[in-house]
Amino acid sequence: MRLAPGLAPGAAALGLAGAAAAALLSNRVATAAAIAVLLLAIVMRAPARRRWPYVVGGLVSGLGVFLLSPVLAVHGSHVLWSGPIVPMLGPLDVTREEISSAALHGSRLAAVAFAFAAYALLLDHDRLLAAVAGARRSALMAALAIRLMPTLERDAVGLAEAVRGRGVAVEGLRGRGRLLSPLVAGSLERALNLAESMEARGFGRAGRTRQPQARWRARDWTTVALAAAVAAGAALWL
Amino acid sequence: MAVAGPPLAQVEGLTYRYGGTERDALTDVSLTLEPGELVAVLGPSGSGKSTLLRALAGLVPHFHGGRFRGSVTVGGCDTRWTRPAQLAGTVASVFQDPEQQIVMTAVTNEVAFGLENLGTPPAEIRRRVEEALELVGALHLAGRRAAELSGGELQRVCLASAVALRPHLILLDEPTSQLDPAGAEDLLATLPDLGSAAVISEQRVGRALACADRVLYMENGRLLLDAPHAQALTWLASERPPFAGAPAIPGLDAPSAGPPVLTMLDVDFAYHDGPPVLSGVSLQVRAGEIVALEGPNGCGKTTLAKLAAGLLTAQSGSATRAGRAGYLSQDPGRYLVRDRVDDEVALAVGGDRARAAGSLAAFGLVDLARRHPRDLSSGERERLGIAAVAVAEPDLLVLDEPTRGVDPVRKQELAAWLAEYAAAGNAVLVAAHDRDFPAHRRVQLGIREVARV
Repeated sequence: MRLAPGLAPGAAALGLAGAAAAALLSNRVATAAAIAVLLLAIVMRAPARRRWPYVVGGLVSGLGVFLLSPVLAVHGSHVLWSGPIVPMLGPLDVTREEISSAALHGSRLAAVAFAFAAYALLLDHDRLLAAVAGARRSALMAALAIRLMPTLERDAVGLAEAVRGRGVAVEGLRGRGRLLSPLVAGSLERALNLAESMEARGFGRAGRTRQPQARWRARDWTTVALAAAVAAGAALWL
Repeated sequence: MAVAGPPLAQVEGLTYRYGGTERDALTDVSLTLEPGELVAVLGPSGSGKSTLLRALAGLVPHFHGGRFRGSVTVGGCDTRWTRPAQLAGTVASVFQDPEQQIVMTAVTNEVAFGLENLGTPPAEIRRRVEEALELVGALHLAGRRAAELSGGELQRVCLASAVALRPHLILLDEPTSQLDPAGAEDLLATLPDLGSAAVISEQRVGRALACADRVLYMENGRLLLDAPHAQALTWLASERPPFAGAPAIPGLDAPSAGPPVLTMLDVDFAYHDGPPVLSGVSLQVRAGEIVALEGPNGCGKTTLAKLAAGLLTAQSGSATRAGRAGYLSQDPGRYLVRDRVDDEVALAVGGDRARAAGSLAAFGLVDLARRHPRDLSSGERERLGIAAVAVAEPDLLVLDEPTRGVDPVRKQELAAWLAEYAAAGNAVLVAAHDRDFPAHRRVQLGIREVARV
């Protein structure tokens, strides 16, 4: 599954970055929300079993900000609901301005989360990595870190299955929570094994070369220009 | 066959201990490797085979630290002063677990990774990648993504990544552990064509012996045997018969026909929206019986084992069990949840360490009871996994590749233990590539569009 077949991964990544920047720079709820919905639609092109943690994470983060910040923030004069006065927090009033601000922040957060999800799920990270001219080691580390999520997901399934196979139930938050520490230990062990394998294959040696890469075409440059224009437009007018 | 010339690698008086341990992993090991020769390294789990391979790659001591005495010279470079990355190209390694050494997402990029690191001219990279994939019989995987491949396919990709570097010395640590017998034989048959010297550590000794010019045998970190093939076979047959290559596992008596413990009728299964993995499968396992599930990589053995143990639910058909089922996953050493070996085993019996001690004794792990499970060798972890499932004495014991990474002595012990367990009135279902493993009945899964018994 690709973000856009025929589009260079670098251009696609910059397009996603432009969309996320536009959501962050825009001061209108409608603009930020529209970008979040557009990015969510893109994420939905990924296979269901891979996309769900990202979709749930993005929605929960966005909704969490939308629901909590009006209660915790104190600004605006059009009071819609007056709550009790709580020590340390003050009056739990909800104003129209607070709701509007919460909707904007929630939409921005969801948009950034979905842009990252599209990047992690739909881009060809090998080609993206190959396209990075400098700081290749950092880029490789970033690519490996992004792949950690699906790897952890597979390990978690395997771990739960192994424990259930011994006749021990893995249920509820507490039961799953107990698997967190072995999951982290397993992922550290995997990281060590991978580092050993990379060292044995000459990673870090001077004089590295790379496979010939396809040149960017007009559509790639157009995507980047459009992304920059959308981000600038969002900052100035939207 | 070996080619006359200066030695390719020389190990002199090597003694090595990993940091934080109290025992030498290698003790006074000396040997010489000649260009082009194929050397099999045999020995029980934890005998130092993998450490020796790491020393030849320079990963010991550079990557693992620890105390290092003696010297290892490869291609004229002393590994004490040469980092593993500098040795890459002269030496190439294929590690035990293919899944944990894949760096890139696409197969071709994975094979190209090492070539890029070594500074291969860009115009040559693609051709060398294709040549390497073809040489190990994996050219058909060129367009695939690593995450979609089976363990056996990943093993071929890892071998291609090593072969692409055209190394003088290739180090293979259990290179066929996830391959079916035909695949393993094909892969080992390619070794003489590589033009490199190869050192192969294998627990399926028959295969390693069949392709080796020379044999090393290790025990407790010491090199007890370094001899040409014919001489080594004689020594092994008299001194260490389980490592002589001939199946030494005793046969089974006829099973006592007990009541059915597992009955699967016309079972269909597919993962998510994927293609069917099993279709119309029916299988019965009775108390007192050991049934082996066989078939090539990707035929659905693991899926059938999970359905039998109740970890998956069939989309149609039925799977009924009389009593409790226990399931040992493939590669159980990866799925360890406690900080001590005895606690790991006691998990299935509510923390009862006394019961755990019995299970540890049955699998030769008593001395390791207080160790951290992740500090054990791969073979020891495999046995720990079995002990952790068996301790609860399930009526149906389902084991998925239980002999992977297990040395021949321990394999004999496991076979004897399973025979006893079944004779006590339990049912055992084993999914295994290992044709030597004894069973009352063997069930073959085919690989067509979908698997059928």
